[in-house]
Amino acid sequence: MSKPRLAHVVLGGCEGCYVSLLDAGEGLVEFLGTVDIVASPILSDDDLTDCDIVLVEGAVTTEHDEQVLIAARAAAKTLVALGSCAVLGGIGGLRNLYTSREVLSDVYGEHRPGDGLPALTSRVKACSDVVEVDISIPGCAPETETIMAALTAAVEGREWSMPRRNMCDQCEREKHALLEHTSEFLSDAVYGLMELDEIDPKLCFLEQGVLCMGPMTREGCGARCTAAGVPCRGCQGPSRLEFEQGGKMIDALAAVLPAGAIMFLDDLVGTGYRFSLPVSMFPTIVDGGDEDA
Amino acid sequence: MPLGLYVSRCSGRVDDVVDIDRVLADARQQAAVVRVFDDLFDAEVQDRMVRDIADAELDCIVLAGHSVDHYVRSLSGQQLKQRLVDAGVNPNRVVAANILEQVVAVHADDPQGATRKAKAMIDVACLRATVGESVEGIEAEPRRSVLVLGASTEGMVAAQRLLQLGYSVVIADRGAGIAELMKSPTIRATVAYVAGHPSSEFLEGAKLVDGSGWLGDFAVTLQAPGGEMTYRIGGILLARPDVTDWIDELRLHFKVDVDDEGRARSIEPATHPAETVDPGIMVVPLRGDVEEVARKVSAADAAAMALVLQLSQPRTIHYVDVSQVDESLCGGCASCVKTCVFGACSIDENGLSHVDVRRCRGCGKCVVSCPVGARDIVNSPHDYLMESIRTLAEVEIDHGAEKILGFLCSGCGYPAADGAAKHADATGEGYPASFLPVRIPCGGRLDTLYVLEAFRSGFDGVAVFRCREGHCHNLVGNLDMDRRVNLLRTVLRSRNLDDSRLRIIDISPSEGERFVAQVNDVFESVGALRKTKGGLR
Repeated sequence: MSKPRLAHVVLGGCEGCYVSLLDAGEGLVEFLGTVDIVASPILSDDDLTDCDIVLVEGAVTTEHDEQVLIAARAAAKTLVALGSCAVLGGIGGLRNLYTSREVLSDVYGEHRPGDGLPALTSRVKACSDVVEVDISIPGCAPETETIMAALTAAVEGREWSMPRRNMCDQCEREKHALLEHTSEFLSDAVYGLMELDEIDPKLCFLEQGVLCMGPMTREGCGARCTAAGVPCRGCQGPSRLEFEQGGKMIDALAAVLPAGAIMFLDDLVGTGYRFSLPVSMFPTIVDGGDEDA
Repeated sequence: MPLGLYVSRCSGRVDDVVDIDRVLADARQQAAVVRVFDDLFDAEVQDRMVRDIADAELDCIVLAGHSVDHYVRSLSGQQLKQRLVDAGVNPNRVVAANILEQVVAVHADDPQGATRKAKAMIDVACLRATVGESVEGIEAEPRRSVLVLGASTEGMVAAQRLLQLGYSVVIADRGAGIAELMKSPTIRATVAYVAGHPSSEFLEGAKLVDGSGWLGDFAVTLQAPGGEMTYRIGGILLARPDVTDWIDELRLHFKVDVDDEGRARSIEPATHPAETVDPGIMVVPLRGDVEEVARKVSAADAAAMALVLQLSQPRTIHYVDVSQVDESLCGGCASCVKTCVFGACSIDENGLSHVDVRRCRGCGKCVVSCPVGARDIVNSPHDYLMESIRTLAEVEIDHGAEKILGFLCSGCGYPAADGAAKHADATGEGYPASFLPVRIPCGGRLDTLYVLEAFRSGFDGVAVFRCREGHCHNLVGNLDMDRRVNLLRTVLRSRNLDDSRLRIIDISPSEGERFVAQVNDVFESVGALRKTKGGLR
């Protein structure tokens, strides 16, 4: 039996997901023995041809990205969206807070890039907004083991999906005040990590008054950030796309942390929607203002 | 899922405004049975429904006509609902479409708009009937024992009646109890009877420190100088509506509807004067300073009778409002624990959210606070609310008019909207038919996603009608909502969204006139906004 034919493409992203894949080391060598790579921007500029699995990294940010993604879908039996840009639109999706005209003039000023460069789409889109996606691996970047497990499943023709509880399920930090039935907030203010005199290494960040996106974020990363002393930034996106992270952050934390303090966070939108703005409802609402260029 | 849709002409009131044929033009596609009657409460009409349920194997019933509250608060409405349930329809699948109070009565001058709105209201009710899961009741033989709060004349008379009928009674008093009453020549014999009865117990200097359960099976913990004691009882009787100390303590554990002075309110002063929103808690229906013993006695009789009617049933059924937690989603973040004011939510030994159904009052705040959607509330499920917003957004409205979505909390906003019908009947003053209402169990049930969905799907404004501070049945559901909405506003401002597009309006159930004025005010400010800034996109 011939080996499954694997292609991979890069849309708008940083290619950090491929770095995570490379971390598989010997495992990757083993895996590469089970597939034939038919197209890869690293190897060549070959057009996509008929293949079994296509791995897509990055979000749809330009018209060219959109064409590549549609071609990838047409060529492949199984389309794997790798990383939060591909699955959720990713951090670059924060551009959806602005029109593409605003973005271009902000970045380039008078000196717009010349002809030949693909035009920006009016909004950054997740792959699933353009084509059907078979396997989604959110994460910025996803854990190496997670990518390998998903790819192995794709090669073997199995279905695969991330577990979908919220991140707290994997987080080892202890909860105490959160489990008590009181009407008190957990903290008298909301603190940045650097504002704390002392960070308790074992206690839930919310209980220390630090906004952590764990509750709003899908598990699967192994809660490595919180184990390393950094609150969750929400890179895996929501457990279900229809429960958008920013809106649910408000719903969940309004009774947990002092809402007045949350309100005056420097960047409430960037905190709640950092990785998942393109798959959220919120930015699609605009009151008045100019039509998009 | 076979659905039966029964439309009431409400003795011609509906036809006067609405074109029923147009309302029902598409109904036959979604309903197995569609019938129109003058009045759904006629005995023959109800017989017809029961036969339809058997013949067409109906699972869902939509009753289009009166307000939802009519089926909870009026005798005829309660009886009709009970007959449908007895005929085999799950109680969560009997749904009312309010086309009388919230459509025809307030849009009498706009038959076209009222017809389109009536159709949408029926569509939403059909959605609610089919999307809601069927609920199972917890059935039990009611405990034949009553806790009387307050050893006043009324409390003692009620206790005496209950003891005579074979109930055991616990009488708790804040103060020194019955010494004063024993001096009263008119009431002394009654007090002595109660005090000497083997099935009565007195607690002086008592406070209520915990409570759980429901009609027929409450557990209440009282703290008295002698220590704490938990009583298992079938019902609770408030000796006076103004025993606010007791009411304040009860409200931490049970739903109690209160007025501006914090006094307990009955669900319907005219026909159900002693019944409160909790069917196991009765209040002696007396208001103000009453000296006459005769009036106290008859009011005490009314409350005792109301409780006996409930507790003398062979079985009582309690329907649990909250659904099971979805274990594939719950990660044990404990947001629900922090938001539940009744202490019903906890994280169990497996790290999963758990609801103590005996403490759950069905407000739905845990559903909103759950960031992954692991839990739902059976009377207003998430999917239903999202879909109903989209359904209402599609209602065609007159060119140039604004479309406003109204979230009405069941405690105050919804009855106020019903009260607007009375005001409109009396004065002819209504509000635009492009105000489209959605009933939610509590202000605290308002998810930010619903507001976002409303704006996305094309509403020009969102108005939330909720209880005044201190009135919320769920204690602070209204304030929790305020916190969420204020946070959401700061997010929406980054989209240039003007604050007046998202309005919170506090209102009392009786303020029908103010409801009309407030809705019109929302239209005015959103309309002005559209003229200066253009619409949403």
